[in-house]
Amino acid sequence: MTKEEFLTELQDTLQRDDQVLETDKLSDYEEWDSLSKMAVMAFFDKKFGKKVSLTELGSFKTVEDLIKFAGL
Amino acid sequence: MPQSKFEHVKISGMQVVVPPKEICIYDELHYYGGSVKKVDRMRKMVGFWKRRVADRGVTPSDLAIDAGEKLIAGMDIDKKSIDALIFVVQKPDVPNPATAFFIHQKLCLPKTCMAFDMNLGCPGWVYGLYVAHSMIESKACKRILLLTGDTPASYLNLDDRIKAPLFGDAASATLLDYSQEPSISPSFFEIGSDGEGFELIIKPGLGERIKYVPQMDQVDPEFNKVIFEPFKEFDGRNVNLAGESYMDGVAVFNFTMTVVPEHIKSLMKFAGESPDTIPYLMLHQANKQIVQTVASAAGFPENKASYEAFENYGNQTISSIPALICHTLKDKLKNNSEKMLCSSFGNGLSWASCIITLGNMFCGGVKDFEKRPDHMGRNEVINYWKEKMKGNIND
Repeated sequence: MTKEEFLTELQDTLQRDDQVLETDKLSDYEEWDSLSKMAVMAFFDKKFGKKVSLTELGSFKTVEDLIKFAGL
Repeated sequence: MPQSKFEHVKISGMQVVVPPKEICIYDELHYYGGSVKKVDRMRKMVGFWKRRVADRGVTPSDLAIDAGEKLIAGMDIDKKSIDALIFVVQKPDVPNPATAFFIHQKLCLPKTCMAFDMNLGCPGWVYGLYVAHSMIESKACKRILLLTGDTPASYLNLDDRIKAPLFGDAASATLLDYSQEPSISPSFFEIGSDGEGFELIIKPGLGERIKYVPQMDQVDPEFNKVIFEPFKEFDGRNVNLAGESYMDGVAVFNFTMTVVPEHIKSLMKFAGESPDTIPYLMLHQANKQIVQTVASAAGFPENKASYEAFENYGNQTISSIPALICHTLKDKLKNNSEKMLCSSFGNGLSWASCIITLGNMFCGGVKDFEKRPDHMGRNEVINYWKEKMKGNIND
């Protein structure tokens, strides 16, 4: 998966209307709630085979942190 | 961890009952600041749509009695042939005796039929199925009526936006029979539990630990008062220990993600099956996201794991898998034979799964609940018991 594909899939996972950019702060997203975090956990598990806890997810500040975690 | 195989048990009939009153998530926009967009997002992500809610004064046993009555009538079976009645419930009518005896009376079951309750949450139907299979395979019983019932929606606090849109009220009835010939499609079960998670989904008040003792009001006014004293829960709602249930959603989600898929894989290995050989994955209808996530982690394609029961009726706790089966397979089960893996998980923590083949059986689908003519509402029951205890009612 490329970074661009990751950003599109993340936008879909969060069910966000606006485009998702690498530099975006997660705390700026209205959609960054527990529901989304669970969806992102499932997304990492399914697409990258990576387990992440909700606490760990909470420590991620930006979209870039998510990309790094995915190993892209 | 018990792994069991049964060869002499047939599931002969199933029936699910839901209250007729339906609430749609779009009828409750005011809880989401009037935002259709927010609700659309919830619908897409979690699958929120419609749910069924019982009238106040209707208990899990009322729904279960109706499910049992409809199953017995639909199959036209002789009640005298029922050896045991098992009622899986977490909200009994009274602290004691077991609610199963009240059901035994209302269904006019014979004195030769034993009756007992099982206190289990969401995995309760699979758990009950396991117990019934064990009783029949051992030839202790030839015919068992397994009932489940819950009313998580009827008294729910609508300010509780985490739990309120999730739940639906329902009951199920399943009839199991002994079959002399060993089945060509045996049933396989695997069950586990983890008491470390006892506090993760719990109703802490009004059992023996935090007991209400009326006599203490004279001795120590604080003794009972503290149980009913309101305080603010983490989400800002006013609650008290007498009424509120507690759930650590994050921990429960982590448990579901880590334990359940591995457990499903372990059962498939035991039964010599794989996602390719099992057409239906009937998962506990917690919500769409959880159904899809667990299915995918267990190696199943999403189209094998339906969440239609959740969308149409809400999370029906103990009755969610029977409702999914009755809703999606009603017309197929009469003549066809369908293999499925049923898996459920919930408070305790507990989890239970089985691989069963259903077919050539009665399936009454999901029907609307009908109140019995002798149904007593809350106030009537209160008056009844006051008069009875005063000695004014003689049976």
